[in-house]
Amino acid sequence: MPRWKLFYRVMMRPLFREPVRLGLMVLAVGLGVAVVLAIELAGNAAAGSFHSSMESLAGDNDLEVVAWGGVPEALMGTLATLPYPLRISPRMEDFAVDTRTRETVPLIGLDLIAEGSRYASETDASNVNSKYKATLEKSVRDLENPESVWISASLGKRTGERISLLINDRVLDCVVRGVFPSTSGNEHAILMDIAGAQRALNRFGRVDRILIKLPANSTVEDWQKKLSSVLPPGVEVRLEGTGTEENRKMLAAFRWNLRLLSYIALVVGAFLIYSTISVSVVRRRSEIGIVRALGAERRDVLAAFLGEAACLGLAGALMGLPLGRIMAGGAVKLMAATVESLYVSSRPGAIALTPYSLALALLIGVGMAVVSALSPAREAMQVSPVDAMAQGRREYVARAHKGRDLAIAAVLAGLAALAAQMPAFRGKPFFGYLAAVLLIAAAAYAMPALVNFISRTAAGVLGKLFGVEAMLASRSLAASLRRTSVLVGALATAVAMMVSVGIMVGSFRQTVVSWMNHQLPADLYLRPAGNAASDRHPTISMELVETIAKLPGVAAVDRLRAYEISYDGMPATLASADLRVLRAYRESDFFSGRPTGEVLAELRGKNNIIVSEPFTYKHKVNTGDTITLSLGEARASFQIVDIYYDYASERGYILMDRDVLLKYLPDETPTNLAVFLVPDAKVAEVRKAIQEVAAGHRILIFSDRDLRTEAVRIFDRTFAITYALEAVAVVVGVMGIAGALIALVIDRRRELGLLRFLGASSGQIRKMILVEAGLLGLLANLAGFVLGYFLSLILVFVINKQSFGWTIRFHWPVAVLLGALTVVYAATLVSGLYPAWVAVRLNPLEVIHEE
Amino acid sequence: MAILSLQNVSKEYTSDRQSVRALDGVTLDVAGGEFVALVGRSGCGKSTLLHLAGVMDFPTSGTVGIEGQPTSDLSDAQQTLLRREKIGFVFQSFQLLHTLTVQENVELPLQLAGKAGARELAIERLQWVELDGLGARYPLQLSGGQMQRVAIARALAHSPRILLADEPTGNLDTTTGGMILELLLRLTREQKTATIVATHSLEATSVCDTLVKLRDGRVEEVTRR
Ligand SMILES: Nc1ncnc2c1ncn2[C@@H]1O[C@H](COP(=O)(O)OP(=O)(O)O)[C@@H](O)[C@H]1O
Ligand SMILES: [Mg+2]
Repeated sequence: MPRWKLFYRVMMRPLFREPVRLGLMVLAVGLGVAVVLAIELAGNAAAGSFHSSMESLAGDNDLEVVAWGGVPEALMGTLATLPYPLRISPRMEDFAVDTRTRETVPLIGLDLIAEGSRYASETDASNVNSKYKATLEKSVRDLENPESVWISASLGKRTGERISLLINDRVLDCVVRGVFPSTSGNEHAILMDIAGAQRALNRFGRVDRILIKLPANSTVEDWQKKLSSVLPPGVEVRLEGTGTEENRKMLAAFRWNLRLLSYIALVVGAFLIYSTISVSVVRRRSEIGIVRALGAERRDVLAAFLGEAACLGLAGALMGLPLGRIMAGGAVKLMAATVESLYVSSRPGAIALTPYSLALALLIGVGMAVVSALSPAREAMQVSPVDAMAQGRREYVARAHKGRDLAIAAVLAGLAALAAQMPAFRGKPFFGYLAAVLLIAAAAYAMPALVNFISRTAAGVLGKLFGVEAMLASRSLAASLRRTSVLVGALATAVAMMVSVGIMVGSFRQTVVSWMNHQLPADLYLRPAGNAASDRHPTISMELVETIAKLPGVAAVDRLRAYEISYDGMPATLASADLRVLRAYRESDFFSGRPTGEVLAELRGKNNIIVSEPFTYKHKVNTGDTITLSLGEARASFQIVDIYYDYASERGYILMDRDVLLKYLPDETPTNLAVFLVPDAKVAEVRKAIQEVAAGHRILIFSDRDLRTEAVRIFDRTFAITYALEAVAVVVGVMGIAGALIALVIDRRRELGLLRFLGASSGQIRKMILVEAGLLGLLANLAGFVLGYFLSLILVFVINKQSFGWTIRFHWPVAVLLGALTVVYAATLVSGLYPAWVAVRLNPLEVIHEE
Repeated sequence: MAILSLQNVSKEYTSDRQSVRALDGVTLDVAGGEFVALVGRSGCGKSTLLHLAGVMDFPTSGTVGIEGQPTSDLSDAQQTLLRREKIGFVFQSFQLLHTLTVQENVELPLQLAGKAGARELAIERLQWVELDGLGARYPLQLSGGQMQRVAIARALAHSPRILLADEPTGNLDTTTGGMILELLLRLTREQKTATIVATHSLEATSVCDTLVKLRDGRVEEVTRR
């Protein structure tokens, strides 16, 4: 008989006799694989595709010239007069909002005459761009019109139609002069002539980037040096696309953490595979002995059990693929929203199920299954032919080395404590993750002793409380100690994750809320309409600012200006505030603990700055350090006088006095206004007055309260995905309990039948199984809670701190935790219903049949 | 008066469209204190008869009556109640729960029935089978004969009217088996149970009050002494 046939008969066929259990196991593995795949796919789609559309429209360039606050146009002349054969293309890059769809679309201003003629000369060689060329040629003729735009086909407008765009705080009614094919399915873009764009954006004399194409066969580094030497110090010459790279780098930590969270469900799945194969080995001990006696070798036995696991893993992976693709759809929306509010403008790209992602799914599904089956399969290999024969009728009780395991657990926990003390490695909290993994392993090893202790002590108490059924249930769990421990371990891991992330998020939320309570002292806040993102800083027209400042009831207006910059290879935000405006701060938010007024006074008129906490972690700087910033064409040094807690963004923030910033970047338009009212003014009235004078502008007005509500909403949305991931892990754990209880019922059918002979009613049998489910749930919740508490310490004080740079104050989210634990507990009870039904339906005459 | 009475009882099993007549028109009365030995070849219907008598199964035709009450009319709850009150089972392979101590095994039927004083009753039953002092042990620490005595103590825990033993000596050597049969006989007399023992043992046929020979589901011969 061929081997695979034998394998099928001996190993696979018994699985199909318990279809529900088999289905649950495959589904559990499938969910684990699906979650990992979904996060991987969604992460790729959600990460900064706005920038990729800007890059794809940039064409093939080698270098880019950038300066924070804009590159002076005069430098175009400097570059053009150099005796080098360079192709130079200036760019304006910003965002506009399509007022019809309310979507944010990249707005790109380029020198259409120059680029148009270039395309015209290049397209003789390739006709790929001929459509583009024709469009552009015709477009050149319409250039005189300042409201001419060329849009990507994905925006769904035709040439000649009108499109109204919100740019900064104004709506511009534009005519579509041409449509160009979208680079990929759904990447929108709007092109303008560079002069038109400067006018629309109200930014004159500066461009955002100058792209440079070098002559063929030249060394990029040499040119970079050569060009830098002729440009002012504040202007940077760097590889084209560096910005996109920097954004990716910034997103790396975020994606890393999500990715790791997504592996939790898989770890829970691994426990279940381990448990399934262990059960399979214990059940087939005598069969293994017989097969060995008939001439099978040890490695055949090993291969058979690993093969069984691999089949489960493969089935799970195949199920996980479509499931993961569906989940990715939901995940990408949540992730894109988070990316945009915390990091960088983004528009989710298409989810691409690549051969790589297929391979990943199969690899983690099968790999995880085989690895988790190694230990039980090795145990099966140890079974000797005599061993199994000698067993006779006596049941084999799986060995559990409680004492030894407890010692291992203690060592692992010690190592975890050590790892938690280690600093970040290359900006990533590797040792933090290591500590978490060690802690979970320690818990797994401590589980047998815990389960043994609790179920034995519980037996008496439960017996008194819930009767003989409860006593029998706890005895049976203690008797199959190893199996029970693995199950409890699986669910406990899921619960621990839920608890730890729950505590982390709850602490974070509480920290943010209390931070906001003494953070926002103004009465009203204004910003241009359109979707907010942490790297977009649309401006408010000056004349509106003047008008608002003169309104009755307004005491003062703080003009805030923010620029998107890059410091030391990482994106950051540079902001200035009008420190002449007096404000009443409630509490200090500084590392030094000094009053806010005192710190801000040090900034006035000097090259002094304060930076946000995440900035200090990203760049390893501290109070007293001096950093050099490129502003406009100059480079200037600034001293850090203090560090402030900031939970609004993970980007680093630098804040300086408005007057100081204006010396370097003389653009007076603010990006945000903070309006302070005179003591007895009515907020609602002033708000109405502002709305009236701002009629021609698109601005949003927030009260202090609005802003806080909005911040909390964004916060909750940000963490929605982590809740979803935990929920999946818990579902996998609960399914494992259900599957395992079915196995337990099957394996104990003789005992259950006997109880009927001894006068047990079907209700008592049902109750016994439900008490077992309840006891498993209780143990898992208990162990999970304790483990979760320790994991949350690692999350809050090590992993979060090292990867994001936020100081979070520990806080127990009691209501959330109680709710979640109750739901898990209820779910385990419910998961016992089907096994209980199976137990009641067993025919005692058949199961007790003896020869 | 007969405690257990089978009137023209037949039992058919249908599996895979084949029907097997395990019992065919069996009539039998067993009185309190009566020890019935049930003999016959393997497959002749002994276990089936015990299951019907123990309200674990029901006849296809005819009636099984326990103290005058036909078992077929009872609801599931009433059947359970009947088993708890009136019936004790002893099995060939003892069927003790290995996770419970000897004492706890004997207490089990009482606890399942929710009876008070399980502890004292169990201690007394263990004295009946001469195992006093072994209550704290686990079944796997006992010999086969001792295990079967525990099983008998358990079967008698709730003072049943009917004691059913399916080849109780099948897993024991002849000497130990003989002792078990003597114990069963003694307890039948003391407790006035209606006892049926399915057996191959020759000794059983010599000590019993009534010898029932089954053949292919029919009563071939009834010998009363
Ligand atoms: N559940 C069942 N389904 C089908 N046939 C059965 C079943 N139980 C017993 N039988 C058949 O009924 C007959 C009597 O069986 P049983 O009472 O177990 O005999 P004994 O105990 O005397 O060896 C046998 O032929 C057996 O195959
Ligand atoms: Mg039989």
